[in-house]
Amino acid sequence: MIVLVILLIPFITGLLLLLIRNAATIKLMALASAIVNLAATLSLAFSTQASSSYSVSWINFLDINFALGYDGTSLIMLSLTSLLFPFIIMAGMKREQEHPGLLYALILFTQSALIGVFLAQNAFLFYIFWELTLIPLYFILLLWGGEGRRNITFKFFIYTLTGSLFLLFGIIYLYSLTPGLHTTDFSVFSQLNIPANTQVWLFWVLFIAFAIKMPVFPFHTWQPSTYTMAPTQGVMILAGVMTKMGIYGALRFLFPIIPAGVLYWQNTVIILSLIGVIYASVIAFRQTNLKTLIAFSSMAHISLMVAAMFVLNYYALQGLLFQVLSHGITIVALFYVVMLIEEKTGTLELPKMGGIKLLAPYMAILFLLIVLGSVALPLTAGFVGEFLIITGLFQQSIWFALFGGFTMVLGAIYMLYAYQRVMLGEKRPDLENITDLKRIDYIVLIPLITLILVLGIYPQPVFNLVETSVNTMQNLLVPVADVLPSLPL
Amino acid sequence: MNALIFTTILGIIILYLGLTKNKTILAPTAIAGLLVTLFLSFKDWGLSSSFFHEMVIFDNFSVAFNISMIIITIVIFLFGVDYYKMMELHVAEQYSLMIFALVGAFLMTSFSNLIMLFLGIEILSIPLYILAGGKKFSFKSNEASFKYFMLGSFATAFFLFGIALVYGASATFYLPEIKTYIAQFHGNLPPMLLIGLLFIIIGVAFKVAVAPFHFWSPDVYEGSPTLVTAFMATVVKTAGFAAFYRLLGIGLLPLPVPLEKALWVMTGLTLLIGNLVALKQSNFKRLLAYSSIAHSGFIMLAMLSQHSSSASVILYYTFVYSVATVPLFIIFILVKRASNGHDHIAAFQGLYKKKPWIAVFMTILLMSMAGIPPTAGFLAKYQVFVLSISQGYLAISIFAILMAIVGIYYYFNVVREVFTDRDHLEPLVITKLNAGIIIVCGVAVVVMGIFVWHLPI
Repeated sequence: MIVLVILLIPFITGLLLLLIRNAATIKLMALASAIVNLAATLSLAFSTQASSSYSVSWINFLDINFALGYDGTSLIMLSLTSLLFPFIIMAGMKREQEHPGLLYALILFTQSALIGVFLAQNAFLFYIFWELTLIPLYFILLLWGGEGRRNITFKFFIYTLTGSLFLLFGIIYLYSLTPGLHTTDFSVFSQLNIPANTQVWLFWVLFIAFAIKMPVFPFHTWQPSTYTMAPTQGVMILAGVMTKMGIYGALRFLFPIIPAGVLYWQNTVIILSLIGVIYASVIAFRQTNLKTLIAFSSMAHISLMVAAMFVLNYYALQGLLFQVLSHGITIVALFYVVMLIEEKTGTLELPKMGGIKLLAPYMAILFLLIVLGSVALPLTAGFVGEFLIITGLFQQSIWFALFGGFTMVLGAIYMLYAYQRVMLGEKRPDLENITDLKRIDYIVLIPLITLILVLGIYPQPVFNLVETSVNTMQNLLVPVADVLPSLPL
Repeated sequence: MNALIFTTILGIIILYLGLTKNKTILAPTAIAGLLVTLFLSFKDWGLSSSFFHEMVIFDNFSVAFNISMIIITIVIFLFGVDYYKMMELHVAEQYSLMIFALVGAFLMTSFSNLIMLFLGIEILSIPLYILAGGKKFSFKSNEASFKYFMLGSFATAFFLFGIALVYGASATFYLPEIKTYIAQFHGNLPPMLLIGLLFIIIGVAFKVAVAPFHFWSPDVYEGSPTLVTAFMATVVKTAGFAAFYRLLGIGLLPLPVPLEKALWVMTGLTLLIGNLVALKQSNFKRLLAYSSIAHSGFIMLAMLSQHSSSASVILYYTFVYSVATVPLFIIFILVKRASNGHDHIAAFQGLYKKKPWIAVFMTILLMSMAGIPPTAGFLAKYQVFVLSISQGYLAISIFAILMAIVGIYYYFNVVREVFTDRDHLEPLVITKLNAGIIIVCGVAVVVMGIFVWHLPI
């Protein structure tokens, strides 16, 4: 029952917000809903009882149930979503925004749909929520976005929907394979014994939707422009949670259902991801726009996570699920600081900035801590995740580990270089009247930074949470390993 | 049968009411009459009665399609109240012609004899030829009427020729007898029968605008008065597909191989042409014309999948499509009025500033057309794909999905215009009745996406 509550709180609050006119009330209500949701999700994460679930029959003749439930993997995703949304909402507090009622309603609708994705127990429901995340977000980007939003959001929308429709084909195909009365339940899907050569092509039909969402090289071309144009809260949702939705989808669909396909394409995807790591890092280094730079850095980190996912050994999986959490927190904090910088200087172009540290020392310190978390310095959360991932990659191949390690090296270079250009150096005459952080900024940044540090120093609770799902996933591929040599391709 | 007789009388009554020169009573009478027809149709549900030596059969299939067409006609008439306000003369004729066309549509859903199908198609078409030319002094309207008439007659000729050939081969007009006659050849049909069947299919394909017999539809849609276009795009299309399914699905299954191949090629072409050409359309009516061709492709896919639930899927698909199409035309007419007859999709610019709620509902309607959850349009496409994929037609399904992506592109092109600012905003007047229609249809599209129905027809 509690899963239904988590799903509905943001949705209903969102509907209510449409009726309210006072901007401050709207934001407070949205925040309250997000905090209640966080509390409810944490109660799930730390409860000792058997997992909560909810199911009613929906479309009888297609045998579709409205079934919600969760396991360790979805719990990580749920916690991340519920954890980030209060901060995403706070990012708009004490700021002037057009049509706040609609904006926060859309943000909460997105949250509700995201939670739906992570709770769905059958593929049909998963698909519905998967598409539903896109609609409110599309309007957030279209109505509150920056320059060029008309065409960029359109490209983003079509690009992601293209992937989704292939996923739809895959789902219906799997549905048609199920025995007896057809169904789309994940539990039934994972027991289908699909012939290995079918799995080989089915892999791409399913994977392409997730690859676009994450994004994996070469399906990333929508990402940098969308991130740069998006309003801060939109980009926080995109980078913080939506990318993880891609990872979650891959974990949910690929490994249990088409393990032979995964093994067959394993190295291809890892190599693509590692190309993505290097490519994104190199391009990030050349960027002059701070937001675009962070967009590419996010792509590099996500690519490394995808590589880890496909290595599929114990360390890599633990690292992946840990990194899901840590990357989400870090990237939201980063984009918050980007917003602050843009507000204070009126620009995001690196050459026009410099010397901000002298005027806003506290901001400089907090920004530095976040940057260090992002470049995976030891004692930050990023280090734990990426260290585990690279250990995992190393077990597969030393070359994978070597190239994967570039995320950390190159990341350190471009992030610190960017930091240096923004914060350090001489005072610039045109940036004289910059002020330091306000109280609301501390309220947002301090908890995020604390989380980055706490998870870096004491990551064990997260590992406990994911232990079982890591073991399950790891065991999925073992029995099919023998099938592989008989593949026709 | 009562429904059919009553509708005919209703048409005549409306025609005579026109003599009173009192425009205000026309629409209410027509709508009240249609509500009675609706009631009569509901009473026929489950009865399955046949008339005239079984030349027409009113079974659940025809009753369900009739009900869906009556509902759509009522929605169109409700809008007619406002649409025909400016028109001084011949308003009664407009309503009664549409009602007569509906009578033809009823015959098309219930025939069991090829002659009855012919009668139905003609009774449906002849009023439409007149209606298409409703704007007497508009060049385009005259063109539309003339084109529709010429090409329509041509298709009718094909159709009649086909019937004659089939009769020549099998010595019967009755579908069940033709079916048994075909079965005895085990797929190796004599050329005369094959060509006859092909000609019949061409005749019907023309009516539902399936490629390569679709060329009339964009011009006719564009030139006709928009309300008539809405009628053609919804009711006529539904009737056409009901007839098509009765002919192929109920009448001739399993299809002879050469026919099936021809139909698959037509499906592929329809999907391709409808969607790709729609991409380049900037005129909203033409866009909807091509999108309607594209939807024909999806319905064909459901029909050719030859599954027992195809009929219900086609009904759901056509109904959902119609419920979304009519209000889109209504919004378009209102926007066009406000922008001095501009029918470019850019006319929608600034709509969300002027009437935010209408913009929201328009988005929902377009989402349904594009097949995006949680709207009924998604469930309609989903059911079509479930049919085609589970029957093993993988390649064409992938192709259809690619084409659905193209569809999303051009529908959201319109959404993008709706949410684009414009400096100069003309005032947009929407009466309460019209707003009500749009909102009810928008809500219906979402509700049907949640409460999906499936009829045993």
